[in-house]
Amino acid sequence: MAATFLFQIHPTSGVPIYRQLMEQVQSHVHAGRLPVGEMLPSVRQIAEELQVNPMTVSKAYSLLERDGLIERVRGQGMRVKAAARAMLPVKDRRQIILPLLEQVAAKAFQLGLTREQVLAALTPLLKERGDD
Amino acid sequence: MTEASSDKSCSGQSVLEMRGVTKRFKDKTVLDQLDFSVSRGSVTGLLGKNGAGKTTLLKCALGLQTPQAGTISVLGEDSRVLSGAAKARLAYVPQEVSLYPWMKIRQVVAYTAAFYPLWNSRLIERLIKEWEINPEDEVGPLSTGQLQKLGILLALGHEPDFLVLDEPVASLDPAARRQFLATLLDIALNGERTILFSTHITSDLERVADRVAILKEGQIVYDDELALLKDSVKRLRINASNGLPNDLRSLPGMLHCEANGKTAVFSLRGFQTELPERLAREWSAEVSVEDLNLEEIFLELHHS
Repeated sequence: MAATFLFQIHPTSGVPIYRQLMEQVQSHVHAGRLPVGEMLPSVRQIAEELQVNPMTVSKAYSLLERDGLIERVRGQGMRVKAAARAMLPVKDRRQIILPLLEQVAAKAFQLGLTREQVLAALTPLLKERGDD
Repeated sequence: MTEASSDKSCSGQSVLEMRGVTKRFKDKTVLDQLDFSVSRGSVTGLLGKNGAGKTTLLKCALGLQTPQAGTISVLGEDSRVLSGAAKARLAYVPQEVSLYPWMKIRQVVAYTAAFYPLWNSRLIERLIKEWEINPEDEVGPLSTGQLQKLGILLALGHEPDFLVLDEPVASLDPAARRQFLATLLDIALNGERTILFSTHITSDLERVADRVAILKEGQIVYDDELALLKDSVKRLRINASNGLPNDLRSLPGMLHCEANGKTAVFSLRGFQTELPERLAREWSAEVSVEDLNLEEIFLELHHS
């Protein structure tokens, strides 16, 4: 799969590129877009296609491997580990959504909205998705 | 606030070691007992304001200028008396490239190639095509940007182990900058080769560099992984309903703080993920955290 298809990198964002890559792999795995056993693009391929430093890509892959989401296949590269999807703990999923929530909190603060007002606005949105 | 990294202190892994380097021009001290090292295989971006001494640092590193004090070794040799063998493994592209104006580009390339026992003419021919350089053009009428492109091209022909570039993208247009960055990444993919470049354009650095060094007031005030810098420096917004604590400004790592009544906005380094929660509890305050990009971090580091 083309790296540009899987990843969108914003080099000038405050989020380090390695963390952007990690979060996007986690999201793809969790959403099933990267199924178990799927091979990930190589470090070289990502570095070339996205024009980022290869060390940055290696760092993201090593941390994902440490977290047990992907595994190294000798001579072939990295693939999504069996049961990776099931094992993505709530803590990690919360970690993925946290930056967005921080933005919401900052904006709410700017607009002078109270905690209750923000929660009141968010709750129906969650219900619409059938999560309640 | 020097943060020396522990992982690259020793000789075998570093291609450049500068220790206690002081360089003065008349009564102006540009480098002030500066310590700096560059490890093999890294791509390091050297950041600093105009006049911070980036060019002086690079020139001293390569023995093109002699400091009043300190020791410098590059590729394991004293930079003041580099052997021919070491020079053949080095390349330097100055900020302003000057070449013989009456030569054609084709002739400049051949002339430069003749100085090196090993010259990759296939690579150079490929880059001439990719970078849309016409070998029949004369050097004289070239623009600053075209000259810079040519200067970089000439520095790549002998495939140096250590490539030093002074503001390599300053005069390049966006397309040329992208081509240049792609080439740098190609070199970085090799893994053994080392690149050190100065810049004030932080967005380029963010893509291609894995390390960043910040030069301020004659010293390297930060030198570590770029990603760690972004993880370390954050901006916090605080709204404390019972009023801000008096010792707010003495919070460890504080860089720059603006407080007004019950609210404060401040940046700090050495951020830990549990900090916002702790501050919220201790100061009964609402705390939000903002990620900063390199440009913002650069500005925050220059506030203090």
